[in-house]
Amino acid sequence: MKPFSLQLHKKLSIATILFLLLFIQQPAWAAGPPVPSEMSNPIAQLLVGIIVALLLIIMLLAYVVLGAAELYLERYQETKKAAKLLLLTGMILGAAPLYAEQTAGSSEAVVKLSDTSLYTLIAVILVEFGTIFYLLINLRALLSKEKAIAPSAKPSFSFSAWWEKFNRFKPVQEESNIDLGHDYDGIRELDNRLPPWWLYGFYACIFFAVIYLYRFHVAHTAPLSGEEYQLAVTEAAADKEAYLAKAANKVDEKTVVYQTSPDYLAGGQKIFSTTCTPCHLADGGGSVGPNLTDDYWIHGNTIQDIFKTIKYGYPEKGMKSWQEDYTPAQIAQLASFVKSLHGTHPAKPKEPQGILVVEAGKSTADSTHPAPSADSLVGKPVTQ
Amino acid sequence: MQVETFYYDNRIVKNFAFATLLWGVVGMLVGLLAAVQMYLPAANFGLPFTTFGRVRPLHTNAVIFAFVGNGIFMGVYYSLQRLCKTPMFSKALSAIHFWGWQLIIVSAAITLLAGYTTGKEYAELEWPIDIAITLVWVVFGINMFGTILQRREKHLYVAIWFFIATWVTVAMLHIVNSFEMPVSLFKSYSWYAGVQDALVQWWYGHNAVAFFLTTPYLGIMYYFLPKAANRPVYSYRLSIIHFWALIFIYIWAGPHHLLYTALPDWAQSLGVVFSIMLIAPSWGGMLNGLFTLRGAWDKVREEPVLKFMVVAITCYGMATFEGPLLSLKSVNAISHFSDWTIAHVHVGALGWNGFLTFGILYWLIPRIYQTPLYSKKLAGTHFWIGTIGIVLYTIPMYWAGFTQAMMWKQFTPEGTLAFQFLETVTHIIPLYIVRSIGGLLYLIGVFVMVFNIVKTVRAGSLLAQEEAQAAPLLEDTPVHGKEYWHKWIERRPLQMLVFSFILVAIGGLLELIPTFLIKSNIPTISSVKPYTPLELQGRDLYISNGCYVCHSQMIRPFRDEVARYGEYSKAGEFVYDHPFQWGSKRTGPDLARIGNKYPNSWHYNHMLEPQSMSPGSIMPSYAWMLDDPIDTASTPAKIRAMQRLGVPYPEGYDQVANADLMKQAESIRTKLAADKIKTPANREIIAMIAYLQRMGTDIKGMPEATTQQ
Repeated sequence: MKPFSLQLHKKLSIATILFLLLFIQQPAWAAGPPVPSEMSNPIAQLLVGIIVALLLIIMLLAYVVLGAAELYLERYQETKKAAKLLLLTGMILGAAPLYAEQTAGSSEAVVKLSDTSLYTLIAVILVEFGTIFYLLINLRALLSKEKAIAPSAKPSFSFSAWWEKFNRFKPVQEESNIDLGHDYDGIRELDNRLPPWWLYGFYACIFFAVIYLYRFHVAHTAPLSGEEYQLAVTEAAADKEAYLAKAANKVDEKTVVYQTSPDYLAGGQKIFSTTCTPCHLADGGGSVGPNLTDDYWIHGNTIQDIFKTIKYGYPEKGMKSWQEDYTPAQIAQLASFVKSLHGTHPAKPKEPQGILVVEAGKSTADSTHPAPSADSLVGKPVTQ
Repeated sequence: MQVETFYYDNRIVKNFAFATLLWGVVGMLVGLLAAVQMYLPAANFGLPFTTFGRVRPLHTNAVIFAFVGNGIFMGVYYSLQRLCKTPMFSKALSAIHFWGWQLIIVSAAITLLAGYTTGKEYAELEWPIDIAITLVWVVFGINMFGTILQRREKHLYVAIWFFIATWVTVAMLHIVNSFEMPVSLFKSYSWYAGVQDALVQWWYGHNAVAFFLTTPYLGIMYYFLPKAANRPVYSYRLSIIHFWALIFIYIWAGPHHLLYTALPDWAQSLGVVFSIMLIAPSWGGMLNGLFTLRGAWDKVREEPVLKFMVVAITCYGMATFEGPLLSLKSVNAISHFSDWTIAHVHVGALGWNGFLTFGILYWLIPRIYQTPLYSKKLAGTHFWIGTIGIVLYTIPMYWAGFTQAMMWKQFTPEGTLAFQFLETVTHIIPLYIVRSIGGLLYLIGVFVMVFNIVKTVRAGSLLAQEEAQAAPLLEDTPVHGKEYWHKWIERRPLQMLVFSFILVAIGGLLELIPTFLIKSNIPTISSVKPYTPLELQGRDLYISNGCYVCHSQMIRPFRDEVARYGEYSKAGEFVYDHPFQWGSKRTGPDLARIGNKYPNSWHYNHMLEPQSMSPGSIMPSYAWMLDDPIDTASTPAKIRAMQRLGVPYPEGYDQVANADLMKQAESIRTKLAADKIKTPANREIIAMIAYLQRMGTDIKGMPEATTQQ
C-alpha cells in the first residue's frame, strides 16, 4: 500500500510543481502592463529569465528531494518515520503555492509603476531563492538522516549516482529484465523509461509555446515586430534628444560655421578619406561625384549649403544622405573640410558642373572662366 | 521450419559508398574555394563560373545532395536488406537509382556553374533536373517499399520508420517547392511570389535539413550505432515518442527562417513555438544514441568508428539545441543574416552528417571487403584532425557572426550608426581566414580517410553477394519479444507511410493555406508595379549570378536597419517577385532599397571593380557584364511566363516588350555617357543597373503605404 501512495504522492507533487510554474509565470508576465513597453525593458526580461531559470531549478531540486525521500522510504518502510517524512515533503510543496498566490496578488496591483514591478520581480526572485534554500535544507536533512541510519552507504555525493538517478537508469547488470526480446539483424532493444528531465523538459516547452502564443496573439501583452520597432525608435529618439541637449552637439544647417583650424579640418579629412573618396577622389577632383575644388557648385558653396548637402543628400543625383551615418558635429567638420578644398589643385579635375560661384578675392587660379566683377560680391559668398 | 537462403547485394552499397567519398571530396573542395573567396576576391578568377555567387550554391548542393545524399543511400541499402532479411527488391531499380542520382549531380554541377538556377536556396536546380529528381526518388521509393513488402521480418525496426518518413516528406517538399513556370529549357520562374514564395521556400529549406540531413541519418544511426557498439538500443519507447513527435513538429518550424520579415506575425510565432517544442524530440534521438553506449564507453576510447559516432551525435545534440534558441526572436535578431548561421549549420554538417558518415564508412568498408581496416591509427588521426577542423571552423564563425551583428546594431550616443557596413566586414576578415584553415584541416582528414579506405579496398575483395538465411514470413510467424500497441503499425508499412504523410502534411497545410488564401496577410500597395522588361532581364542576371547568396532584400523592422537601408520592407512590395530574393546572409549590405541611392556610374564602376567604389570590399568583379549582351531574344517568353503567373502586363505586351527594353536601356546609356562612361545600350550591365535602380523605389515618396483589402 505504501509504495502505491508514494507513487501517487509523487505524481501529484509533480503536477503541483507544473501548476505552480503556471501560477508564478503568469503574474511575472502580467507584471508587464498592457502596453508592452515594460516587458521590452531588458532588465525586466532578464529578471523574468532569472525567475524562469530559478523555477526550473526548484523543479529539479524538488524532484531530487522527492527522490531522496523515496530512497529513504524504501529503506525504512517498516519504520513509522515514513509518515512523518511524507508530511515533510508535503509541507515543502504545500508552502510553494502560497508564495505563488501572494506574488500573483501583489504584482497585479502594480500594473503601471515600473519601479514597483521591478521590486515585485525582485521579490519573486527572493521568494524563489527562499524556496531553493528551504528545499536544500530539507535535502540535507534527508541526506544526513540517511547517513546516520545507514552508515555503510557511500558517505559523499557521487556524480555517477546522481547521474543514474537523474536519468532513471537501470543498472547495466539488470538489463536483461528490460530486454524486449527484439532481434533486428542482431540489434536488441531495451525498454528503459524516458529520462524524467527529458519528459518534463518536453512538457515545459509545450507550456512555453502556449504562453507565447497567448501573450503575442491573444492577450497582446508582447509587441509584434512592427510595434517593437516603434518602441525602439521612440526610445532612441528620446535618448538622442537627451544626449544632444547635454552634449552641445546640436549643430545644424542654420548654426554651422566654417572653421579652419588644422585639428578641426583633420577630423573632416579623416571622414572624407574613407567615405567620400570613391566618388569625389582623395584630392576632391571628382569622378562619379562633382569636382569640389573649382568655382562651380551644384547645390551651393556656403558652409550651410554644404552641410545641408551632406546631411540630407540629393539622392536623385546620386548624393546619399549621411545623417544616419555621421553626427552633426562630424558633418560640420566634413563640411568645413570640403569648403577648405576650394582652390586647391587636384591631379585630374573633373569638368565644371553646376553654377559658377565666386567669393570675393578668392578664385581658383587656373579658372578659365572670367569672374564676375568682384565689387558687387564683396563681403559674403553669393550664389548666382 | 523451412529456412530460405538469399544474398544481400553489397555491390550497390559499395557504389554508393564510393560516390559518397568522391562527392564529399568535391563538395568540400568547392567549399574551401568559397571560404577563400571570402577574403581573397581574386580567387574568383574573374570568370562567371568560378564566382562566389555560383560556387556557394554548388558547395551546398554538392555536400547536401551528393555527399550526404549518397551517404543516406549507402546506409539505407546496407541496413534495409538486413533489417528486412531480404535482398533489395530490384537490382535494376537499384542501378537506375544509383546512376540516375549521379547523373543528376553532374548535371546540377554543370548547370549551377553555368548560371542556370531558380534562385531558391537548396532548390536551385532548374525544372528538367527537378523532374529527374522526382523520377529517381520514385524509383528509390518503389525499390524501398518493394524490399519492405517482401521482408522476412514481421516488424519494422525504428530505422525503417525514419526511412519511410524521410521518403514521403522529401517527396512532398520537393514537389510543392518546385512548382515553377518554364520559360525555356533551362529557365523558369517560381509559381509563387514574394511572401508566399518565401514561406514555401523556407518550409522546404528548413525541412530539407530536417528530412534530408536529420531523419535519414537518425535512421542509419539506429542501425549502425548498436551494430558498431554491440549494445542494445537504450529505449524502445523513447524511439516511438521521439519519432512521431519529431516528424510532426519539425514541419511547422520553417517560418523561423523568416522572423522579423514581411511574413505575417502569426506565422512567425508558429515558427518560434514549434522550434522550441522541437528541442525534446530532437534530443530524444541524441539520448537514445548516447545512452545506447552505456556500458560500452571503454570501447569508445579504443574504436575510431565509435569516436566518430559519439562526436556526431553530440554535434547533433548541440545543433538541435542551438537551432531552437536561434528561433527565439531576440536571438534571431542577432544571428540571422550573420555568420552565426554559418557556424550553426556547419556544426550539423561537419559534425553530425560528416562524422557519422565517416564512422559508418570505417565500419562498413572492411565488412563488405572482408578485411580489417588498413590502419586504425590513421582513422584515429583523421578523427583528431577532423575534430580540430570543426573547432577551428565554427568558433571563428560564431565570433564573426556575433561581432558583426553587434557592430551593425551599434549606435553612437548622437544617434547615428557607429559603423559603415564595410567596416563591419573588414573587421571580421581575420576570422574568415581562420575559418578556411579549419575547413582545410577537415578536408585533409577526409583525404587521410580516402587513403585509408583505398588501402583497405586494395587489400580485400568485395563480397558482392553476401549469403544469409532466414525463415519466410508467414501469417502465423510468432512475434518475438513483448507485444505493444505500437507493434500494430510496425507490421503495416503502408499505414506507416500514410500516417507519416498525414502528420507532416498538417503543419505545412495549416501554415501555407492561410498565407495563400487570406488577403489581409499580404496587404497590396497600389504603387507597386511589375518590373519593366529591362529590369526583369536585370533581375534574372541578379538571380543567375547568385547575388542573393551575399545580399539580402529584406529590411527588418529594426532601428539600425531602417537607419542603414531605409524604411523596413512590406509584404505588398514583393507581389511580383517570382522568385522572392530575400536572401539569408548579408556578406554584403541589404539591397532592398538600393534603388536611386547611388548614380548609375557608381554601379557601373562598382560592378567593374568593387574596390574602386568601396575600398576594402570583398565583392568580386563582374567585369563580364560590361561586355556580354542582354539576351533580348528571351524577353517575349519571359513576359508571357510572367503573365501566366498573374503578373498584369497588358495583353500582347510580349511583342512590344523589347522596344520598351531598348528605350530604357538607351536612357541609362545616355546618363552613363554624361558621366563619361561609354557603353553600348545592350549590355548586361545596363539591365543590372536598371534592376538595381528600381529596387525598393515603388513605395518611396509615399510614407503611408495605402493598403487595400
